[in-house]
Amino acid sequence: MTEKTTTPREITFRLRRFDPDTDSVPHWDEYRMHVHDGMTVLEVLHQLKAEQTPTLAYRSSCRMGVCGSCGMFVNELPMLACQTQALHLGADVVTVAPLPNYPNVKDLVPNLEPLIHKHAAIKPFIIFTNHEEIDEPTGEFIQTPEERESISQFTHCIKCGLCLAACPTVATDPLFLGPQALAQAYRYSADNRDCGLHERLEAIDVFHGPYQCHMAGACSQACPKGVDPAFAIQLLKRTLVLDSIGFGKKKSKLAKVMPLADVVKQIEEFAPPPRTVK
Amino acid sequence: MRETRLWSLHILVIPIIAVLLGAHFAIMHYAPVFYGTSVEEAREFGTMIERGKSVAQFVVYILLLAAGLYHGLYGLRGIIRELPLTPALAKTVDVGILLFGLFIFGLGTYVTWWTFSFKIGG
Repeated sequence: MTEKTTTPREITFRLRRFDPDTDSVPHWDEYRMHVHDGMTVLEVLHQLKAEQTPTLAYRSSCRMGVCGSCGMFVNELPMLACQTQALHLGADVVTVAPLPNYPNVKDLVPNLEPLIHKHAAIKPFIIFTNHEEIDEPTGEFIQTPEERESISQFTHCIKCGLCLAACPTVATDPLFLGPQALAQAYRYSADNRDCGLHERLEAIDVFHGPYQCHMAGACSQACPKGVDPAFAIQLLKRTLVLDSIGFGKKKSKLAKVMPLADVVKQIEEFAPPPRTVK
Repeated sequence: MRETRLWSLHILVIPIIAVLLGAHFAIMHYAPVFYGTSVEEAREFGTMIERGKSVAQFVVYILLLAAGLYHGLYGLRGIIRELPLTPALAKTVDVGILLFGLFIFGLGTYVTWWTFSFKIGG
């Protein structure tokens, strides 16, 4: 291990390789690469694929930490390859493996189906049950900055799956819904426009739901977008407990449909200050 | 039943256990401190029978039994259910633990009732 440095140097990359057509078990291959300052692990992989091992399989897209495609297990920690500077790892040998807690498709490509299935199970969308209002809208919903702020960080999830890879509970209990789905369950249930908590209960108020969380907090450390899923799980527990004893969201508060005149008034209240420069 | 209710109950019984277990320790293990009698004396058959005839004692021990059993068996269920079980096996575990808990509670209640209704000398 060397100190974090920006001085260009040679680094050994140990990549876990697995081809289901030819291999029965994964193996490790080593490659040497001259790394310069600013080079991300993803760029290293691009270069390795172009120059040394064209059969290397990995997933990537946006290259700027937005799409969540390039989640990998770099030096034993789940992270986005496009956001990880190779030199900043401060290691002479960098190991890159597919995300744990997921089936391995090939080389560094994990099968993210468990993440997608769990995410879909919690109905990750606004559920509005006032059918009269749906059929004949009388106004608009207003979400105040405070209401938005209360769920803001949880809306930043990019479904990269790093939190599930970091979660020790998912490692031992694959049926555990996991931090991503539970955080999203809270994000939608806490949204003032949503009244679908009871429709989500079948998926979240179960043994493998929030109460299975061991509160290790690894998900929050791993999240590349600064979301705190461990906190969301605790908030979801509170929501569920309050609902179970009859102190859940009140329907009247939910139907926050405002006449359009009031909407305009509210928008004016939240309007930015007038321009100082014409 | 909703998992939330089961989990909430498991948390709610913690203070009950803390208080009642404290009472149990005071009666059984710290008798010299609280009652001025020796531990051996507190554990004698005659003393226990005499103590067991009190309604407060009867209620405390039934509550402690119920709370302790529920808390412990809920935790045990959590450990077992974390194993990769089929839905049918998971259901079997749930029912098995419930039946085991009811059996132990019945047994404990019988012993406590037997002590409560024991007639000295006859």
